[in-house]
Amino acid sequence: MTELVLVIEDEVAMRRFLSAALSSHGFKVIEAGTVAHAMTLATETHPAAILLDLGLPDGDGLDLLRKLREWSTTPVIVLSARDREDDKVQALDAGADDYLTKPFGVSELLARIRVALRHARAQTVTADPVLAIGPIRVDQARHEVTVDDALVHLTPIEFRLLSFLARHAGKVLTHRQLLHEVWGPRSTQHTQYLRVHMAALRKKLETDPARPRWLTTEPGVGYRLRDE
Amino acid sequence: MSRSLPSHRTGPRGYLFAVAVVCAATLGGLAAAQHASLADEAMLYSLAILIAAHAGRGPGLVAAALSVIAFDFVFVEPRFTLAVADTRFLFTFLVMFAVGAAIGTLTVRLRAAEAASRQRERDTAMLLAFTRDAAAAPDVEGVKAAVLQHLREGLDLEPHAVDVPASGPIEVNLGRLTIGAEQRALVEAVTGQATTAIEKLRLAATAREAELRATTEELRNSLLSAVSHDLRTPLAVITGMATTLRETAEVTSHEGLDTIVAESERLSRILQNLLTVTKVEAGAKPRREWVPIEEVVGTALMQLDGALTGRKVEVVIADDAIVHIDPVLGELLLVNLLDNAAKHTAPSTPIDLTARRDGTGAIIEVADRGPGIPEGSERAVFERFFRAAPASGTGVGLGLAVCRGIVVAHGGTIEALRRDGGGTVFRCTFPDGEPMPTFDEPPAMAAEAAR
Repeated sequence: MTELVLVIEDEVAMRRFLSAALSSHGFKVIEAGTVAHAMTLATETHPAAILLDLGLPDGDGLDLLRKLREWSTTPVIVLSARDREDDKVQALDAGADDYLTKPFGVSELLARIRVALRHARAQTVTADPVLAIGPIRVDQARHEVTVDDALVHLTPIEFRLLSFLARHAGKVLTHRQLLHEVWGPRSTQHTQYLRVHMAALRKKLETDPARPRWLTTEPGVGYRLRDE
Repeated sequence: MSRSLPSHRTGPRGYLFAVAVVCAATLGGLAAAQHASLADEAMLYSLAILIAAHAGRGPGLVAAALSVIAFDFVFVEPRFTLAVADTRFLFTFLVMFAVGAAIGTLTVRLRAAEAASRQRERDTAMLLAFTRDAAAAPDVEGVKAAVLQHLREGLDLEPHAVDVPASGPIEVNLGRLTIGAEQRALVEAVTGQATTAIEKLRLAATAREAELRATTEELRNSLLSAVSHDLRTPLAVITGMATTLRETAEVTSHEGLDTIVAESERLSRILQNLLTVTKVEAGAKPRREWVPIEEVVGTALMQLDGALTGRKVEVVIADDAIVHIDPVLGELLLVNLLDNAAKHTAPSTPIDLTARRDGTGAIIEVADRGPGIPEGSERAVFERFFRAAPASGTGVGLGLAVCRGIVVAHGGTIEALRRDGGGTVFRCTFPDGEPMPTFDEPPAMAAEAAR
């Protein structure tokens, strides 16, 4: 089944590229250049995924996202410029599933879409208690983590952090989302704890913590457990 | 104009005038003697004293004395002697004399007050005119000219010089000229006004300059962000299209497309530098957080993945050091330092990144084994658009300027040092912007975590 992707982008050339890239990889693409048009298409066509440029001319992409989230769980991937970290964080906290920083290559684009589609489908399937990401295996039932079959000892917080990341493997998670999940709703400001525990996790899971292969940092936004 | 204060001395003319007036009164009295009583004659003398007293107190008193004598001699019985038959006339004499003295004194006072008020009026007018001229003066020289002009015209003073110091009150150099207290007060008022006028001129100049700078800065920033936005979209399209083409089977040479992608990425980094240097120099505050240095290094290395291909980068971070830094700017700093090292050194040479903490902050160093910075250029390398040598290959010379901008925005320092055994060390210091937090879990968080 070919899946439908809604591209919301005001630049014609950018739409043409996204359209060409997605079509050649088996997606069906519909395009919108304005917020109003996008809203109509989203309600009428029920796309499998949405690519949303945050800088639309006739309205805030963020508003569109919030409106969309009132009735739809369709994965949304936000397109944004490098120095717009705040926009990205806001979009992610408002329900976007991921983001792409311009300029990006086609492989990055496809990887993000695949992850988003997989997560959207996984919501309806019973989750496997054992998550495997590359050499890392997280057994949520037995509270055990192995890397290349070697048992790694994690503190309770590190385990919660890793499980949350593993459940959303491939997807970016904001500082706020991570803090909220691991430390509770009252701790969403204490980013420095998160950073220190992430550093500890890297030491235990990565071969070279200064060049993380799996636990990557999205500067100014959050973290991502890569999934390739 | 000579400045004459009302004098208590009266010239001989006043006294002559007094004598003449008394004579006239006597003649008038004689002429009217048939029809007038003695009291009338006394009144006539009173009038004479009144008129004479206008010439001053002295003439008034003289007129009073002469009137008494003339009245006694000419009119009082026995006439034409100084003897007095009726002693009541002695009282009349006394009153006449007293009237003369009193009127004389009053007149003198009145005239003095009148003269003083006229002088005050002139002084006020002078000060007013000066203030107007000084306020209208377009520059410091104009104010100086107004001071000279008004001191000359208003006070008849010819100052040697008017000194205008860079700050503080201006000074009028009068040389050895001695002036009275009143004149001194006026000169002080003038210099006070002049100082205020000059301060106002200087403030206005500063404000104008600041406004001009702000406008220029604003224009530059909006131009830059507009340009970079307009460049970004085509760049994103080029990168995207090139990567799409690279994936399709028809293209046999991937090398060309790889170059397009790599160059687009480089262009995008230059754009990012341009935007950051503008933002940081416009005074945007970095958003500092406590970050493990390893994390910043990790993101920088990931960003430079392509540009550092094949390079050996040795990372040594002492004791899991943390730094108080804006993570996004920190990444850009390291990207630029590493990129700079990679660009200016042979591909076979290693790049070393070391980081540690001292008591007050973090120190991050990027060291290479390149040719080193030319002697005397250690500071210039951080200037915008500086390039070690025109032939030294790629780059617009923005990278290190961005580094300096970022470090300075954090209150830190950056320097290029000669490395032992050849090469260059770029050393950045990041002083802590706030006391380092403890990384023990707060009780609330620990409790939540133990759920």
